[in-house]
Amino acid sequence: MRLNIARVLCRSAANGPGERFVVWVQGCPLACPGCWNPDTWSFAPRSLVEVTALAEEILGTPGIDGVTFTGGEPFMQARALAALARAVRERGLSVLVYTGYERDELVGRAHRALLEVTDVVVSGRYVEAQRSTELPWRGSTNQRIHFMTERYSEADIEGTAAVEVHLETSGRVVLTGFPSADLVQGVLVPDSPASTSAGLHRPRSR
Amino acid sequence: MSAYITLTTPMTDEESLLAALAELGFDERKVEVHASPVELVGYQGDRRTQTATLIIRRQHIGPASNDIGFVSTPTGYKAVVSAYDRRAFGPAWLSKLDASYQVHWHAKQQRLAAEERRHLEAERQRVVEAQRAAIHERAQKLGYHVKETREGGTIRLALVRRTY
Repeated sequence: MRLNIARVLCRSAANGPGERFVVWVQGCPLACPGCWNPDTWSFAPRSLVEVTALAEEILGTPGIDGVTFTGGEPFMQARALAALARAVRERGLSVLVYTGYERDELVGRAHRALLEVTDVVVSGRYVEAQRSTELPWRGSTNQRIHFMTERYSEADIEGTAAVEVHLETSGRVVLTGFPSADLVQGVLVPDSPASTSAGLHRPRSR
Repeated sequence: MSAYITLTTPMTDEESLLAALAELGFDERKVEVHASPVELVGYQGDRRTQTATLIIRRQHIGPASNDIGFVSTPTGYKAVVSAYDRRAFGPAWLSKLDASYQVHWHAKQQRLAAEERRHLEAERQRVVEAQRAAIHERAQKLGYHVKETREGGTIRLALVRRTY
């Protein structure tokens, strides 16, 4: 079973509770206006990976608390992600899923299969008019956090990084999380030294 | 008077050529280096019409020898050797000189490449440090607390809201 993914980040503290392996899946039918990752909308194959291979990579990453699925729309690849989630949960890792769908839109069998192995769901379209950088784990105020298991609670939100910047040895800058426009400017403004690097991972918008 | 002959060589780098000459017994005390060509001198002390920028004077070669010179050209140094000295310093000697030159030339290329890598690494570190400082400053102005960690060469800056 294969997944079509856009990219991964082996370690992030800005995509849910604790240190997390983040998977951006490829393909989203929602196309929310203002989305920061429009490159993940297309369903054309981008990087096809076997679930078992990705599970091995995740499980081989030391010191992480769990895995976060974002995108793109994870529930468009719910069956494969459910298999991946099962594999990593069996080894004690937690699963957080970002989705642009509302919770009550996730009623399909594959959707339920993924929900059954998910600890936290952050749901709802990204609504540009309700954009907020004040809310943890969310891009706009309409989005909701659902604690599906008892593993996490509201208490785990406190102290979570809103934004994370990785300055890699290659010179690449990875920006992830929910940055304010001012902060993005600080990284991207042409006069800023950060803009000299290539390969910026733009932040997720939902 | 022994006639001078000119032998072409593929050697183009003065530093490597001087190192190769030193290895064959003609160190810096025995090789004159001139910015512009200077006349060679024959075994009787006679000034010759041939000129060179690198010169091994006859005293360092043999009692009946003439100066040996090297003239830089875009395609490689030309060795100016008298017919008399050609027996000892002809093609066979030049072949040994070239072999030594190649060793020194390759070592020099490796040294230059290492210096270039060090320079690029220093420049990369300077850029990353400037990025890091700029992000710290901007984040703190915007009310974030910055947690910095390093893994290998990667710097991670986690920006945490002071209050949600």
